[in-house]
Amino acid sequence: MTERITKWPGVELSAADLNEGKVTQTRFRPNAKYAWSAGEAMSRFLAELQNGRLIARTCRSCKRILFPPRMFCEVCFRPTDEWTYIQDTGTIETFSISYLDTDAKRIPDPILVGVVSLDGASPKMGMMHYFGDMTKDEIRIGMRVKAVWKPWEERRGSVLDIRHFGPLRKDAK
Amino acid sequence: MTFLERTTDARRFRQWEGNVEADYIYTSGVAGERFFVALRDDGKMLASRCTACGLDYLPPRLFCEDCFLELTEFVDVPPEGRVAAVTMAHLDRRGTPMSRPQVWAFLTFEGIRGGLVHRLLVPPAKARVGLAVRAKLKARGDRVGAITDIEGFEPVRS
Repeated sequence: MTERITKWPGVELSAADLNEGKVTQTRFRPNAKYAWSAGEAMSRFLAELQNGRLIARTCRSCKRILFPPRMFCEVCFRPTDEWTYIQDTGTIETFSISYLDTDAKRIPDPILVGVVSLDGASPKMGMMHYFGDMTKDEIRIGMRVKAVWKPWEERRGSVLDIRHFGPLRKDAK
Repeated sequence: MTFLERTTDARRFRQWEGNVEADYIYTSGVAGERFFVALRDDGKMLASRCTACGLDYLPPRLFCEDCFLELTEFVDVPPEGRVAAVTMAHLDRRGTPMSRPQVWAFLTFEGIRGGLVHRLLVPPAKARVGLAVRAKLKARGDRVGAITDIEGFEPVRS
């Protein structure tokens, strides 16, 4: 309320008033079911994630390797041509140190999120994901990273089949 | 591959299923509350009266549509009304065909502006405009303060 207004006009009702049936009311739940299709390219992309691989589409006209894959080249205005696998290593393009979790709840230990451009795809093409196995002080733009995959039995054909991208170490295979 | 060669069967693809939880609670409002409480407790219908225009509103409004006066006076709606328009429903609310059509009508009352849409409790062949009807209410204990406290409208003389 403000200095001049201590009570708004109208009838104030609390949740308890409604739940106790103090006033007559109509309750309704609409039958608002939906199915959201991932489409042709993204469905294959998700299926390949479950296999622990990243797949892209090539366009013969502009010679680009499009990732995430799409069935239509937005530069050439023509259908793309072939499937091709790319690597699960890449470079951090941009990142954010987030003190909010996915529910926008405040958290003391920040999560690291950002965009990684992937090796084997055309420059600057990649995906958004979590970064891990590094601190907020260590993360840098240009840092080399590699996907850390969930074990096979935990994969669901989701982008979270990759747990996060962690530092690519020279000694690693 | 051209676009015309593409599959049109979306079930081939991965998909997410969900349900938009858009629940709502719709209160009757000040005038509506008077109407439904009177219907539930006293088994009668109320109209709100504009003393300036001499108009009675059904369903009751809080303000006069003609002069914008706030309406605080309520009067009883005459028990007997007339069918002003009639239609047959062959599908239920979900669009499923019903074994027997339902008769729905717009009902008006002498001297009252407005009216009610409700079930007409007559066989389809007997449904006609001008029929004199009255509300058939549920028993007092079954009434909850909703428009369904009225089971429907039945002919005054059958």
